[in-house]
Amino acid sequence: MVSAFSYVPAIVLLPFISFLVALFGRENLPKKGAYGGIAATAGSLLLSIWVFFSVRGGTVHEETYYTWATGVGDQAWELTFGALIDPLSSLMLVIVTLIALLVHVFSLGYMNDEGETDLPRYYAGLGLFTASMLGFVIADNLLMAFIFFELVGLCSFLLIGFWYRRDSPPSAAKKAFLVTRFGDYFFLIGVVAVFTTFGTAAFAGPESFPALAEQALNGTVDVWTPGDLGVETWFTIIGLLILGGVIGKSAQFPLHTWLPDAMQGPTPVSALIHAATMVAAGVYLVARMYGFYVLTPTTMAIIALVGGFTALFAATMGVVKKEIKQVLAYSTISQYGYMMLALGAGSYVAATFHLMTHAFFKALLFLGAGAVIIAMHHNENMWDMGGLKNKMPVTYLTFLAGSLALAGIAPFSGFWSKDEILYEAFIYGLNDPILLTGWIFGLLAVPVTAFYTFRMVFLTFHGNPRTETARNPEPLGWNVKGPLSVLGVLAVVAGFVNMVPVQKLTGVELDYLTQWLDSGAEGLTYSGYNALLAEYAGYEAGVVAGSETTTLLIAAGLGLGLAVVGVLVALSLYNVDEPVEHTDKLGGAKDVLYNNYYQDEFQVWLSARTQDVAGVADTFDQGVVDGVVNGVSSVSLVGGDRIRRIQTGIVGNYALLLTLGLTALLVVFALLGGWI
Amino acid sequence: MTNPRLPGVAAVALFGVLVAVILSSAGGFGEPAGFPADESIVHNIGYALFDIDLGEIASEGFLAAFLIIALALDVALDSAVYLAKQEEDGSVVSALTDGGRDVVDTDGTLSADADSSERPPTGDSGGEA
Amino acid sequence: MVPLEYYLVLSSAIFCIGLFGILTRRNALYFLMSVELMMNAAILNLVAFSLHWGNLTGQTFALFAIALAAAEVAVGIGIILALYRNFGDIDVMDATTMRW
Repeated sequence: MVSAFSYVPAIVLLPFISFLVALFGRENLPKKGAYGGIAATAGSLLLSIWVFFSVRGGTVHEETYYTWATGVGDQAWELTFGALIDPLSSLMLVIVTLIALLVHVFSLGYMNDEGETDLPRYYAGLGLFTASMLGFVIADNLLMAFIFFELVGLCSFLLIGFWYRRDSPPSAAKKAFLVTRFGDYFFLIGVVAVFTTFGTAAFAGPESFPALAEQALNGTVDVWTPGDLGVETWFTIIGLLILGGVIGKSAQFPLHTWLPDAMQGPTPVSALIHAATMVAAGVYLVARMYGFYVLTPTTMAIIALVGGFTALFAATMGVVKKEIKQVLAYSTISQYGYMMLALGAGSYVAATFHLMTHAFFKALLFLGAGAVIIAMHHNENMWDMGGLKNKMPVTYLTFLAGSLALAGIAPFSGFWSKDEILYEAFIYGLNDPILLTGWIFGLLAVPVTAFYTFRMVFLTFHGNPRTETARNPEPLGWNVKGPLSVLGVLAVVAGFVNMVPVQKLTGVELDYLTQWLDSGAEGLTYSGYNALLAEYAGYEAGVVAGSETTTLLIAAGLGLGLAVVGVLVALSLYNVDEPVEHTDKLGGAKDVLYNNYYQDEFQVWLSARTQDVAGVADTFDQGVVDGVVNGVSSVSLVGGDRIRRIQTGIVGNYALLLTLGLTALLVVFALLGGWI
Repeated sequence: MTNPRLPGVAAVALFGVLVAVILSSAGGFGEPAGFPADESIVHNIGYALFDIDLGEIASEGFLAAFLIIALALDVALDSAVYLAKQEEDGSVVSALTDGGRDVVDTDGTLSADADSSERPPTGDSGGEA
Repeated sequence: MVPLEYYLVLSSAIFCIGLFGILTRRNALYFLMSVELMMNAAILNLVAFSLHWGNLTGQTFALFAIALAAAEVAVGIGIILALYRNFGDIDVMDATTMRW
């Protein structure tokens, strides 16, 4: 029986081949490379599903494909490319390939049918991105993960700046690349630190660095630490360094500023990269090396706090935006904040669950927004829309499904995952004030999320059409409606894989995802992480009113209730025939929110200060270093200029010089030779 | 140069150094050997020239030198006469040329061709570094 | 016998007088005369040492040198003529074209 695991490289290589085909085939390809991309991602999807079913039962596959550097001497590290297939990575493989396939199909409608040019470059970029993301997912060591991390960043740059002949896309692409690169700098230092400390960067196995870290904390193994730093402090620092890259890539505060500008790229790109996959890379990385993070409670607290804060922070900014894609961008930042909150609170399953459901419903919302943009002839301003639900029923229904999931209304998928995050944060937060703060932020973000989501829905689809384009939108083909339908269905049912509240209340076993993530290699399971959490991080679940059921009901009730409240407020304000901009009532606060709390200006100011520092270095280089070099040459130049003036051409001067020289010579010889 | 008296002082200084050296080594010269007291060197040279074996100072070995000396003096005399020679119309004739132009006329005055462009300008002359 | 150092001091004095003339004189003929003086000082030196060692070689050499001095003066006159023809005057301070 052929093992699915031997086909794992093909999962990564198929999209890469479609990249090469699009790169070299260029304009000669049918549909400019779309069919190649669709075929490749479909193939990868089938292989991923096969791998997914092979992993059932806890089979884990780890294989090194290529050793590209071997160390010598004492510290014989090896730098390898390899694959780690376990429940988490196989689940992520399915998610990534599915959404990539749907985005490729959607691009037929968004790009090809709209008559866009330069499409081979677009499909090449998409193919390279898919290959890089899949490579990242299967990575079995931190360095390989870093390499693919950077590759996806590069593809994001290329695709955001796809329409480079305009002014804003190249600028947005540069900003995305630079801001994430800033975080990746710390990530790289963290990778080096991991290698130096543990001698290996492998994620899994008894010799992996999470396992070694645990043994170091036990005292059974000695690891290198700089200076006199304690082992736990050093692990916290490593965790924070790697967190730098995560914060950049997953657009958390303060490195979130690139994501709204990344909306300059084509909408399918936004759906694939900036909603479902690339920004998930950061969260996936933390989940992948969760065995390391759970050992350091300080890092976990910071993750939770950053996540919770970002969730609320971004949600407030989404309330006042005018363009549909901007609202979705801030929503993405906010939802990834929730995932970080879940990871910080110790709930690996809740984070992965939300990653999955968010991938589906956010991709759905972005593709829906893309459909609306096609219909509105690329006008993104929601205030020019209205009344589209009658003209675009499929889009409307799927978009509504996605919005309900995003807002967290039961029984849509978003409710189950968000509820689990908030529940876990709550119960662990009862014993830890920082986690409780994160929970409060997350909870406050729930009504805001529901509000801006439904503001978006009502402004776009309800009411009377406000412009001519809204009255006669462009019709859509099935290459647009098909992916929307698929994702719409998923947005509804994906939540049913882990209905933990129902299970807790009724006792019926419904937590398939938890069980799935509990199988697998030792050290990579959910219960394993829980054990480590309890032992090293001191996480202890609390209860309210002495009963778990009560705690559950309170948490779930709060979450659902606040979400419904948000929806009702949006309903009352915006579900009218002629909505007005109620956010004007916020006055000065609206300006602050609209300008994103001036974070963009702040970062520009910071970079200008860096430029000043660079200017000082430049002055030093020009003045001191160049000055020394020029000075050395001027010695010979000036010296020569002075000495040549001896040649006056007057015979008497020469005779005088001769005389003086002779006299001096005689005196010297007389003194030395003893004549006198 | 800087000090107009410097050349003179340099010569005097050299004199001073030489005298100092000579006088301080005066003791080391020893007695001069001298020549036989009554003999006349010139008479002896004459005896050698005429191959008369009369004097005490041996001077046969220097005869070739004396003859060459006479030859050189003759050459010097002839060259001086030649340099001073003038043409019938007064222009100086010799191998001396100035590149095709006479600066000085036959009567010794500056000719019309003489102009100060031949002399270097007193400032910098093509001496840019 | 006159001690040797008298001759040497005399010869060095004459040499320095000639040198003084070279360093300070502007007229080319005086320059040439000063050169002659220096040469004569050297010749005097030769004769003095010939007396000191009792060897006729020094005096012969001195005669030779005198003859050569005469030839050299002829050459010097030629140079002065060239100087006159190029600069119009026999002032040695005028000939400064070979300078920086």
